[in-house]
Amino acid sequence: MVRLADGDRSAFRPAFAMLWPQLRTFSVRLAGEADGEDAAQAALLRVFARAGEYDRDRDALAWALGIAAWECRTLRKRRERRREQLALALDVADAAAAGASSPEDAAVERELREAAESILGTLRPIDIETIAAAASGRRAQGATFRKRLERALARFRLAWRARHGNE
Amino acid sequence: MATNELAVNLEVRARRAYELGRLRWALRLMPLLAAAGAAALACGRPVGLCCALVAALAPLAVGLAYAGGPAGRAVGPGLLAGSFALALPLAVRTIGHVCASDICMSLCLPSCVAGGGIAGAMLALRAAKEQGGALFIASGLAIAGLMGALGCTLAGAGGVIGMAAGAVAAGAPVLALRPRQP
Repeated sequence: MVRLADGDRSAFRPAFAMLWPQLRTFSVRLAGEADGEDAAQAALLRVFARAGEYDRDRDALAWALGIAAWECRTLRKRRERRREQLALALDVADAAAAGASSPEDAAVERELREAAESILGTLRPIDIETIAAAASGRRAQGATFRKRLERALARFRLAWRARHGNE
Repeated sequence: MATNELAVNLEVRARRAYELGRLRWALRLMPLLAAAGAAALACGRPVGLCCALVAALAPLAVGLAYAGGPAGRAVGPGLLAGSFALALPLAVRTIGHVCASDICMSLCLPSCVAGGGIAGAMLALRAAKEQGGALFIASGLAIAGLMGALGCTLAGAGGVIGMAAGAVAAGAPVLALRPRQP
């Protein structure tokens, strides 16, 4: 890196061969396989673009890995922002479709639905099946189903209170 | 095959990023050069002369900084050294001294010689620590000379010659007495 910073072009290939695997491994470990590859490429380009600024008193690998960590963070934030925007767009669409008064209502509804789904996941398969059948209007006639549904809902309420209190 | 192509493509992009990064890094000198030209203009130096000197100095400084090596490393010290040769004659003008002719011996010419001396000594001291000293000195002197000429033309061609003489007179002994690189 010192030679590159000094303008020695012959140092480019060895530096590339040394840096790319290190940055790739580091970024994949930090951001996962798909994001890590993108972050590593962006970090590599940034490292070479800033090679002229490299301070020879600093450790070159630590400097490059610092840039890679920054790229991973930037990529993650960008993805989160995109996901939030997508969720907001879905909320708006849900609100429009359901005739809800505002996107906030839709967001609250979505959160409740997610919380309910996560509680459902802790119940026994037969309870999940019963509640799902009742919710979709496919309830069977007869006392057996009604009893099973009562017991499933009781267990659901118990699990809900255990996790969320009496909200 | 695809992985290999990807790596080659990435290497090409990385090389392009490196070259563009170096160019951007070299171009950071431009505001400094523009400020030097503006200072010379503000002190009454002719517009045409200032433009010609900055037009010669800017590509040389940016080009050498971009290319790198000993010549590129000399750009910063050369500009710093040249700024003394630029500032001293201009300072003489700002304290109220008025030159009667191009060959003004009372303050203008001595200030050019002194500025050149400081520049020469600074460059020689720095070159003593550098590998590739000859290239460093040549590049540094060219940059410092053009920078200093922005101010030293105040005393006409004599001012520029005086500056060069001062640089050689102060720099040569420092270079001759420098400890040899192992």
